[in-house]
Amino acid sequence: MKLIFKITLLYLLISLVVFLIGGIITHQIIMREVIYEEQRFLRERLDFAIRMIERRKLHKPFERDKIKIIPLGTRGEETEIAFSDTVVMHSTLQRMEPHNKLDVVKKVGQQYYKITLYDLIVEEDDIAEGVNEALVKVYLLLLVVVLILSWVASAFLLKPFNITLDHIKNFSLRKNNPIKYKKSNTKEFDKLNKFVEEMTEKIQTDYQSLKEFTENASHEMQTPLSIANGKLELLMESDNLTDEQVALIVSAQGSVQRLSRMGKALSLLTKIENKEFESTEEINLSELLLKLLFDFKELADLKSIKIESEIQEHVKVNMDSTLAAIMVTNLLQNAIRHNYEEGRIHVVLTHTRLSISNTGGALKSDPGSLFERFKKDNQSKESVGLGLSIVKKICEVSSFDISYQYQEPDHTIEVIF
Amino acid sequence: MKLLLVEDHAELASNIISYLAKEGYVCEWCNSYQKAINKLSGFEYDIIMLDLMLPDGDGLDILRFIKQQNADAGVLILSAKNALDDKIQGLDLGADDYLPKPFHLSELNARLKAIYRRRNLGGAHDIIFNEISLNTDTMEVKVNDRYLDLTRKEYEMLLYMIVNKSRVLTKQSIAEHLWGDYMDSVDSFDFVYQHIKNLRKKIVQAGGRDYIQTMYGSGYKFNPNI
Repeated sequence: MKLIFKITLLYLLISLVVFLIGGIITHQIIMREVIYEEQRFLRERLDFAIRMIERRKLHKPFERDKIKIIPLGTRGEETEIAFSDTVVMHSTLQRMEPHNKLDVVKKVGQQYYKITLYDLIVEEDDIAEGVNEALVKVYLLLLVVVLILSWVASAFLLKPFNITLDHIKNFSLRKNNPIKYKKSNTKEFDKLNKFVEEMTEKIQTDYQSLKEFTENASHEMQTPLSIANGKLELLMESDNLTDEQVALIVSAQGSVQRLSRMGKALSLLTKIENKEFESTEEINLSELLLKLLFDFKELADLKSIKIESEIQEHVKVNMDSTLAAIMVTNLLQNAIRHNYEEGRIHVVLTHTRLSISNTGGALKSDPGSLFERFKKDNQSKESVGLGLSIVKKICEVSSFDISYQYQEPDHTIEVIF
Repeated sequence: MKLLLVEDHAELASNIISYLAKEGYVCEWCNSYQKAINKLSGFEYDIIMLDLMLPDGDGLDILRFIKQQNADAGVLILSAKNALDDKIQGLDLGADDYLPKPFHLSELNARLKAIYRRRNLGGAHDIIFNEISLNTDTMEVKVNDRYLDLTRKEYEMLLYMIVNKSRVLTKQSIAEHLWGDYMDSVDSFDFVYQHIKNLRKKIVQAGGRDYIQTMYGSGYKFNPNI
């Protein structure tokens, strides 16, 4: 739910409570005023009644609609005006209706009179109804106004915020374009923008130096490794080496070479990330695949692996030619390396996808981490654990999708163009 | 064969020089752009081994200089900069070959000899070793004048071994020579063994001597003194 909607909703909820309490208060105030007015009206009529008694010199009881005067003789006592509610037959409506009643004993001339006056009460229900109706209408009006306001607010007030969000969403470490903002005139947004700007700049410089470090490290590594390897080769040439010594040298050489391959693979990964392979061109993947399948045939034969392929002709994709070769090579290498003796590789190439399945034991590790760096399922001696990360990276920069499935005994890696 | 090595790492240079000394090559060494230009201005070399990254200049500029001065000299680029662009640019500028670091010294030796053969031996494409002769042009092999039916890989392996005779060649170095970039994909060097086995059998069947010696735990040696 949008923030502005939440705020609006909360606001409406609070106003509902306020309106309820306000309704009760309004109702009470109106009631008080109405009762006061009714009583004032009854008092006026009392004056009128007293004047009538004086004029007529009334001796007999007098009763008319809503008035009743009973002469009490000369003896008596004046009382205070007392108001009360009662139910009286209404002359026109011909039914019992609640009335206000005024009772008083008044001395007019020498006589005391008991005067009772009635007046039709304004019913509480009617007032409540009126108040309700008014408030509901006002509330509806408020609802409409608040909704319009929230729409306006989100469109105009929150515009800088939405722009910032868009920027953050589109921010990519690899694009190397730090987020720049225009000044809004909202303090909070300016603060946020400044923070995001500084943060992305920092992230980018950190990322850049990390990348440079990886590239330099893996590059600088090659020379000392080359030296070590050469020394070992020279050592191997020396006379009178025992078999044990030779074995030690060979093993050391193997490790040096592995390290060197690792460095090369890492620097390749960094180069792909750094977009050093940008020369996108139309690649005939069918031809490339056929050529590489031919090159790999001998290696596959050594493991007695059978390669089946269904390759559509003239499948063309747009990508860097070096990366295309690396991608297919790595996938085929992977399919051979993790295969077993007398296994099978099935290669399918269509205009939409390249899928390579190979037989092989089930993964012991999480298939989700298959494309991560240095994730190796079997600690196979020759493998560095970067081949599939490189393939994934290539797919990323070439905007392909890559997925992995295992359906015993076939491992399938699929690239969707 | 007279060689010039342009390489700023003294250790690496000393490895190369000691290895090549055993081949009987004269190998001079300089460690900077300026020294290289000076040497090249004054002397002639058969092959120049060129590191692209030098402290005081770009190796590609030396390459341009060589091609202006002495187009006959072969150039082998040695570089840790495993960038394809460098390779392509280097070869475009007239380098004969490109060897990424780290490399096997035996591989370096094989490449130097190949360059030398291409440049200096003119029409003579034969490498003759006792009863074995290889024609590097047609890739045909004869033992005692009988043609041997070798696969491409067996031919390459034999050439590599003869070029590096009397040296221990590890399975890694042979595998890398034969398979180059695809080397990673094999879990073992069994296939080297397979090829060696076939090659030996074919040579022996043709009446050749079994020069290929298995070195326990390390690799193979083409031993001329058997």
